[in-house]
Amino acid sequence: MTVAERTPLVEMQHVNVAFGGVHAVQDVTIDLYAGEVIGLVGGNGAGKSTLMRVLSGAHPADSGSVLIDGKPVSINNPRDAKAYNIETIYQTLALADNVDAPGNLFLGREKTTRLGSLDDSAMESETRKVMGRLNPNFTRFKMPVKSLSGGQRQAVAIARAVYFNARILIMDEPTAALGPAETAQVRNLIRQLKDEGIGIFLISHDIHDVFDLSDRISVMYHGEIVGTVNKDEVTTDEVLGMIILGKPPTEVTESELAALHV
Amino acid sequence: MTNVADAAPASGQVQPPARTSIRGLIAQTEIDLRLFGMLLALGVILLTFNILSGGKFFQPTNMVTLAVQASGVAVIATGMVLVIVSRNIDLSVGSLVGVIAMTYALLMTDWMPNVLGMGPDFPFRWLIALGLGIGLGALVGGLQGFIIAYIGVPSFIVTLGGLLSIRGVVWYLSSGAARSGLDPDFQLIGGGAQGSIGGTLTWILALVGCLAIVLLLINGRRQRRRFDFPVRPVWAEVLLGVLGCAAVVAVAAFANANLWPEGLAARIAARDNWGPTPEGGWQIPTGFPYPMVLLLGVTLVMAWLATRRRFGRYVYAYGGNPDAAELAGINTRWTILKTFVLMGILCAIAAAIASARLNGATLDVGQSYELYVIAAAVVGGTSFAGGIGSIPGAVLGAFVMQSLAYGLSFMGVNSPGQNVVAGIVLIIAVGFDTLNRRRGS
Amino acid sequence: MFSRKLIALVGAAAVMAAACSSGSTPSPSAAASGGGGEDCVVGVSWNNFQQPRWAATDEPGIKDTVEAAGGKYISADANLVNEQQLTDVDSLISQGAKVLILLAQDQNAILPAVQKAKDAGIPVIAYDRLIEDTSVLYLTFDNVAVGKAQAAALFEKVPTGNYVLIKGDPGDPNASTFLPQGWDDAGLKDKVASGDITILNGPDGTFTDAWKTEKAQSNMEAIIDKANADGNKIDAILAENDSTALGVVAALTAKNYGFPPLSGQDGDPANLNNVALGKQYVDVWKNSLELGKAAGQAALQLCAGTAIADLSITVDPSVQPPTGAAPTDFTTPGSNVVKAFILQPTPVTADTLNLPIDAGWYATKDDICKGVDPATGPAACK
Repeated sequence: MTVAERTPLVEMQHVNVAFGGVHAVQDVTIDLYAGEVIGLVGGNGAGKSTLMRVLSGAHPADSGSVLIDGKPVSINNPRDAKAYNIETIYQTLALADNVDAPGNLFLGREKTTRLGSLDDSAMESETRKVMGRLNPNFTRFKMPVKSLSGGQRQAVAIARAVYFNARILIMDEPTAALGPAETAQVRNLIRQLKDEGIGIFLISHDIHDVFDLSDRISVMYHGEIVGTVNKDEVTTDEVLGMIILGKPPTEVTESELAALHV
Repeated sequence: MTNVADAAPASGQVQPPARTSIRGLIAQTEIDLRLFGMLLALGVILLTFNILSGGKFFQPTNMVTLAVQASGVAVIATGMVLVIVSRNIDLSVGSLVGVIAMTYALLMTDWMPNVLGMGPDFPFRWLIALGLGIGLGALVGGLQGFIIAYIGVPSFIVTLGGLLSIRGVVWYLSSGAARSGLDPDFQLIGGGAQGSIGGTLTWILALVGCLAIVLLLINGRRQRRRFDFPVRPVWAEVLLGVLGCAAVVAVAAFANANLWPEGLAARIAARDNWGPTPEGGWQIPTGFPYPMVLLLGVTLVMAWLATRRRFGRYVYAYGGNPDAAELAGINTRWTILKTFVLMGILCAIAAAIASARLNGATLDVGQSYELYVIAAAVVGGTSFAGGIGSIPGAVLGAFVMQSLAYGLSFMGVNSPGQNVVAGIVLIIAVGFDTLNRRRGS
Repeated sequence: MFSRKLIALVGAAAVMAAACSSGSTPSPSAAASGGGGEDCVVGVSWNNFQQPRWAATDEPGIKDTVEAAGGKYISADANLVNEQQLTDVDSLISQGAKVLILLAQDQNAILPAVQKAKDAGIPVIAYDRLIEDTSVLYLTFDNVAVGKAQAAALFEKVPTGNYVLIKGDPGDPNASTFLPQGWDDAGLKDKVASGDITILNGPDGTFTDAWKTEKAQSNMEAIIDKANADGNKIDAILAENDSTALGVVAALTAKNYGFPPLSGQDGDPANLNNVALGKQYVDVWKNSLELGKAAGQAALQLCAGTAIADLSITVDPSVQPPTGAAPTDFTTPGSNVVKAFILQPTPVTADTLNLPIDAGWYATKDDICKGVDPATGPAACK
């Protein structure tokens, strides 16, 4: 799989985020091309989610810049991010439990009638269409999402991102709470979206998923990028070494790698 | 959000048509079981008191008294639902009602004639006073809402401070003395024979209500058809229409069975030259009292805001998952502030009813309202966990609690007894709710 | 979770109330040097200065009397909190008070403060509310006589018929004991026994939480509904005070019932106005200006070293106790015998509205005569 475009879809340059005395993201530079999946990996507290929250507008950076299609942009809140067609599927899914699927899909971006009232029928209709593509067996459109299964909730969160024509998709642990069948569905979806030219940041702790789906892998360690490598040019052990020891393949020794398996 | 504004809101997916069990049939009507249960409970309470009193309790004049007594708390309860749903609380409502009631009294007895140059004959003086009161309520509510939403002080603390300080302000305004003598037009807001809309208007309202229910059912069905959604079986739609209309007409008929006291009718007849008294007396129906009409209007507007506007959607979404609301790009702080502004406005309306009923204001008008309002909202299904609450439910809750208080008063049970019963009912209602939810999830 | 909030609310309210209490700011203490008008520092501990009556009548009565003789008036407000009142008394003593006038929030909780005063040799006047201690001077209006005056006035107007009894807060001994005792002294118990009077909401009547006007209103509405349902006519209403009477009038108005004779107590402006308008029949007025004056006189004499038994207090003849200018023995419910100076209340009807006006009551003629047609109204409003 090659990535042909010259201008990266997204570039994050020298991003720093600190809060509560913790320097969560330190001078991180990372980029993403259209039609590419970047696996963003690292241990707990490595800074992956925080970095992505900068892109999704949930937590603006203290310093650094973000470029989209080569042009600098300013993302100060989730609305800004969505305006740039950046959609996020958070680890917690960020669904309002007491609201139904259409309500969640359109949360913050509701369809309204001419008088400015909610157009629930139109929203439900659109939701049925998009859910039909992702999960044809889904029928509980009027129930609060609290009563849906984990996979169905995931489908709603994904549908939300897909419906609004994301060009850049951030997926934070999308298969963590899913069973094998649903996991396979999500993986298919990711491949499908990649084919459509969408750029995806995929945060996952499942090293096999990462190797299966991503084109490049960026590893973070204590807030810094250890290295960004092509998937084809590394072994799982070397990636593990980056995650656990914080050392890129060029600096790690055979014995250190062997010690990881003890 | 499941659609609550319909005449019979949905609570779940429509069952496949094959079911013929009672539960299946009820499910096909998509009636909100909880609301229906509360209506039943209210009916049981009224029936019980009627039996205990030998049939004297359930009379039009008594039910009208009950409705007027419940209206102030019910008006505020519609707003408290949104506040509690969004994980806040407003303890200041009683004091706010008190200060606005005193403001109405001072405006009409002192400030308007003496300071603003508006004598008793100034046109629409009562309306201006009402407008000023609503403005004051919105201002104070907005101030509290600002401190809660934008500065981040917990609503419990802010409104507790409001409860204490605003009640103190009432004393300074009035030097502790009662003020009485409001404009006659303003007094009508409090109900009574002349403070009611009369027989004709009541029938018209009933007709409009019935039409509205039928139209809602038809429109709802049409919308579903448009998108190929499953629809209720025709018999269910017809049943709901018939029951809804019957209920509306029955309530109107009951209100119209409440007659003007003959003494009053005779007095007005003499004053306005209606001619000789007819056989059997004047028999003038009062119809719905103004407080009830106000409550109806408020309930419709609040329910519409809650279910058909983005504002309401955002309140519920925030209550369900504040994080999700933020990440969806909702301006949550502005939303929360608006819930408190609404509370202020509703308190002003309730204060108008209370002061009109008293024809003035005392130092302690509105005292403890916050407890009654919260109880009404909670009995009506609003949960302190956030995200769950029904506005019609809160109104019903207010009526349930007031029917107990009034019924016990009627039967001669003193305040301590009334409070014991109220407390027990509150615990039972919420306990029932909690068990139900646990079983459902 | 709601009940926890309630407890927190009550706790927080108590803390904030205690923190915010302050009546008149106490002035620096005068140089201490034995009795006499010029050096008499009179310390007053109010229990709830927020109630309008104290600022309007009692305080001026005490303060003017004391200051006219060259004395000094200092005070504190306990805002309904017992602990605060103990602190207030401490602070008044430390500011050099020679006499203490105490309006006890609770007659038993105040005893440690009384003991402190005794130890410091400071005489104590129990003002308006009883303190169960033999060393105090009990200065009050005769609450039982108030009840008697209310009932007597109504019985004269309506000797037989259906009565409604509206009482105050069930926890207040005035409401549950003293006033009803006065009603019986006027003959209520006998008339009920003989069948002359039927109590529609009997046998004990209806209490009103915290004397609240709104509660009295909704209670009365239910009573009217019940009476109508039973086919009974309400002939008279014995209400214990003005705040409840106001609620009764509102209920009668809402039901277009007319205004059967109604009693009250306190001489509140709105109620005196109702008397002028014919909506209330009698308002038993306690000229607390005179009570304040009496306290002021007693304080000055006590400062000068006079013993309690030898005090001579002269007030307006209308309120002067029938026993004269000297304190008499009074047996308390706790079986203590205290020296007491008990003033007489004045029942005010439409004919006698001039009494409070002439006495300089805080209800002015404008307040009392608002909306009264001079042609048909009482003499006092012409």
